[in-house]
Amino acid sequence: MKLMEGIVVIAAMIVPFIAIKSHDFLTYTYWTAVTTLYLLYIALSRW
Amino acid sequence: MLSSFIYAFAFYAVVGTAIALVAMRGIRDQEDYYIGGRRISGVVSALTYAATTYSAFMMVGLVGLTYASGVGAFGFELFYLVGTLLLLSYYAPKVWSYGKERGYITPGDMVADRYGKPVARIMAIVVAVALIPYISVQLIGVSLILEKNSGLSFSGGVLLSAFLIAFWAFLGGLRGVAWTDAFQGVFMLLLAVSTVIWVYNYGFSESSFFQELPKLGELLVVPNKIWTPMRFISLTVPWFFFALTNPQVFQRLYIPKDGVALRRMVILFGAFGLIYTILVTFLGLELRVLSEIGIFPGVKDRDAVTPALLGMMPAWLGVAVSLSIFAAAITTANSIVLTLSSMISRDLFDSKSLYAGKLMIVLLTTAIAVFALQRPGYIVELSVLSSTLLLCQLPLIFGVFHWKAGKELSAGLTLIAGFTLAILLYFTKANPLGIPASIWVLTVSFAVFFVSSKMEKT
Repeated sequence: MKLMEGIVVIAAMIVPFIAIKSHDFLTYTYWTAVTTLYLLYIALSRW
Repeated sequence: MLSSFIYAFAFYAVVGTAIALVAMRGIRDQEDYYIGGRRISGVVSALTYAATTYSAFMMVGLVGLTYASGVGAFGFELFYLVGTLLLLSYYAPKVWSYGKERGYITPGDMVADRYGKPVARIMAIVVAVALIPYISVQLIGVSLILEKNSGLSFSGGVLLSAFLIAFWAFLGGLRGVAWTDAFQGVFMLLLAVSTVIWVYNYGFSESSFFQELPKLGELLVVPNKIWTPMRFISLTVPWFFFALTNPQVFQRLYIPKDGVALRRMVILFGAFGLIYTILVTFLGLELRVLSEIGIFPGVKDRDAVTPALLGMMPAWLGVAVSLSIFAAAITTANSIVLTLSSMISRDLFDSKSLYAGKLMIVLLTTAIAVFALQRPGYIVELSVLSSTLLLCQLPLIFGVFHWKAGKELSAGLTLIAGFTLAILLYFTKANPLGIPASIWVLTVSFAVFFVSSKMEKT
């Protein structure tokens, strides 16, 4: 379960390397959103 | 500027010393001294964890790295943060409860319990070799900034830093360090917010940051010329495991007073880390955009970006930001010194004496200051290598929780093999199969651990 969680989080973090190519704030916003959601997940449901 | 910095520094030193003096009351034994008697609140635990983790690298190194290389630097730092959250949310409760049940004080206590005392001794040597140059380089960096922006001489900066590192840790132990970290952590965050706002008002009065942003082009995507996938992996892997491999943060897993405080520590640290990382990297992007539109000078050396900014700020803000960078270096360095003193006196020399630990703080800080003043070239190289050197501990730590085989011989071999390989690869500049040194060290350490522990069992 924890291994799967790790794989999902890392996969989500590497998405900009593959799928985001626009010259704007999207990569920055995307990484902020993923980290925020993961922090919320840990705070609200995981622990 | 020197006199205003001296006033600000004097105020900072007096407040910190007062906190450390209050913290020293009630210290009776090593448990009180090194881990605050396991009675630290969740908020203070979170702030000391954050202030220990986030060094002067953030406001100097990461601002410059983002300026020079774009959003990849943000991704690199957030990979560290999600890795830490993943590891802490799983391992922190286990480490905390093991520590409480079995009376662990140092990271080496857990390793000694599982693999034997000689392994903890080797580990103490590995972390000392990895971390002493790292702290020296922090002192060198922060003293150079002070020299340029406050008029304080380089040697004056090193000696002041070294004195405060030793003095606050010496007086109050972990509680002194944690409480001073807490107030400095808040100060670092406030100054990062102030700097971002000041730069925005200074540079974007006639244009919008978001309108000008596309001028950064390739710096807004990954991979790019700087952030190749291989470079990203080589930098990210050692930091991803930072929470388990760096003893100064690992030891902090013992300090929360209960399970609720531990949970609060992890979550608040995550929130601090996310906000601080956003502020620092946003600042780097702001400055780069301002360079593109000719408002901020183009800076070739990325470590010179923050000093250039400090030179443009109003004197009062420049002094405050310089002091926050100084605080960031102090909070990281005194935590490392305290942890190293516990590991060297307790794990290496088997001493249960408080006086031995305090003497070790003085000796370690003196060694760090001497290294910093002499500035030999190999110190910088060793400090860059520190996170890779520490990776060899990872199989042992995972082994405590997931692997029954493995005793003294296999654990000792793992540390020696991983450590030696890291040194060899770095100094020979070898890059076998094009794979980064950190991946080699991790792979070889795990391979040696698994193979030798199987052989040791049979």
